[in-house]
Amino acid sequence: MVSKTEEEQVNRLENQVENGGGGAWEYLCLVRKLKLRRADKVLKYGFSVLNDPSKRSALGPEEWTLYEQVAIAAMDCQRLDLAKEFIKVLQRKFPESKRVGRLEAMLLEAKGLWAEAEKAHSSLLEDNQFDQVIHKRRVAMAKAQGNLAVAIEWLNKYLEIFMADHDAWRELAEIYVSLQMYKQAAFCYEELILSQPTVPLYHLAYADVLYTLGGLENLHASKKYYAATIDLTGGKNIRALFGICLCTAAIGQLTKGRNKEDKESLELQSLSALALEKAYKQRSPAKLSLLSSTLRSLKVSL
Amino acid sequence: MAEDLVLDTAIRDWVLIPLSVVMVLIGVLRYFVSKLIRSDQVPDIKIVKEGQVIIRARNLRAAANFIPAKSFRARRHYYSNEENGLLHVPKGQAQNPQAQMFSDPNMAMDMMKKNLSMIIPQTLTFAWVNFFFSGFVAAKIPFPLTQRFRAMLQNGIDLSTVDVSYVSSRSWYFLNLFGLRGLFSLILGEDNATDDAQRMMQMGGFGFDPTRSLGAEKDGLDIVQHDWALPKFEQRAVAVLKKLS
Repeated sequence: MVSKTEEEQVNRLENQVENGGGGAWEYLCLVRKLKLRRADKVLKYGFSVLNDPSKRSALGPEEWTLYEQVAIAAMDCQRLDLAKEFIKVLQRKFPESKRVGRLEAMLLEAKGLWAEAEKAHSSLLEDNQFDQVIHKRRVAMAKAQGNLAVAIEWLNKYLEIFMADHDAWRELAEIYVSLQMYKQAAFCYEELILSQPTVPLYHLAYADVLYTLGGLENLHASKKYYAATIDLTGGKNIRALFGICLCTAAIGQLTKGRNKEDKESLELQSLSALALEKAYKQRSPAKLSLLSSTLRSLKVSL
Repeated sequence: MAEDLVLDTAIRDWVLIPLSVVMVLIGVLRYFVSKLIRSDQVPDIKIVKEGQVIIRARNLRAAANFIPAKSFRARRHYYSNEENGLLHVPKGQAQNPQAQMFSDPNMAMDMMKKNLSMIIPQTLTFAWVNFFFSGFVAAKIPFPLTQRFRAMLQNGIDLSTVDVSYVSSRSWYFLNLFGLRGLFSLILGEDNATDDAQRMMQMGGFGFDPTRSLGAEKDGLDIVQHDWALPKFEQRAVAVLKKLS
């Protein structure tokens, strides 16, 4: 995660570089450190640094790291010609390197030569089966080909070894959701909540999945996780507020007849409706009528 | 001890400075030698996996209250059932690290290489300093110190009457040995400084046994009482929203 101060710093540096204030190298370092994806900027400024012999030699051994970074950015921007050039330079410098091999495999991937890229990846994996980047590249490749079942298979294989990698769990959860395999997705989100219990987005996503699964028990749980999201975000998350309203309405529908709804849940619902109304009034008054008609259809009393 | 000892300038030129220079040079040399003989360690897949299992189980233990009871029970069963739970270590399979070390010659080899680059130059320099420079008072610190520093600063001089602010040559060697880290990180780059003090600390930690921590984690997981925290969150959300409106 990128903290706010870091983001500000990046944006400030980006502005500075854009207006010709220098500091390109610092900007590139920061982008690399925070793993941001600003390929166009990285390509532009990295290329200008690499093209200037005096600037380039000032970097010393860091020069090669920059080559790598810019090559990846070039692939991201579909400037495959440039990427190829950079990789060639690196290849000349480090003929036997696995890291360069990885770049070459990525280049194949960027060209869409899936079979060859796959071959390159598996030969790299044979040398070092713990290369997490290559495992992930494989998943990304399967995903790029639209082959989600294969992507799931790779991800599961990867998670069998690196089961504490929460980014992989998140990826898997998202793939499951897109395939409408909600039970599996729910498991993944539970895993994410376990690893980072204070991130509201995971609670929110888990609540979404539970709501979609349906059933009284799941709806109750879903409402609780929406409540947790509200608590963690200080009531600023609109989706969670809507979620509370929807859950309460759905629960009300299911328990019609034996109406033992406690007051508290109704209170939570009306409070979230109020908070929603307030937020809409503040940010987009034009859509207020839409909101009130929606809430009315959910039989939420304001 | 009213009068000060006068140190010969020759001591500075022939003991103090050469000693420091030699220490620096040896440090640099050792860095390159250890770089040459270092082999890339490929970790065992089992060990990597065990480490990851432990992290995941620890997460589960720490945040158990954030997932529904059903999910928690399923996970606990997955980790710690007696047949094929991830944390379950079958009896007798727990290898003790000593045996493991002997069974794996690579491991012993690595240890030896590490020690080779550390101990041999150290012994040699120590012997060299001891032989040529023993008993010198090599320097004087410009401020007074208490008696407790005598062991640190006057190693090799058994005179209780010498003022503590004088540094013996052997102590100067030790000060250099442990104090040159900053200089090395300047010369050799940030992270590849040869840091003796740290390496010695690592030596103590060797012999770590993953199976034991697996067992400990399993016991910890077994006694966790699941108490779903989420119902409380509803009340908290109500409070948050009340404050907002």
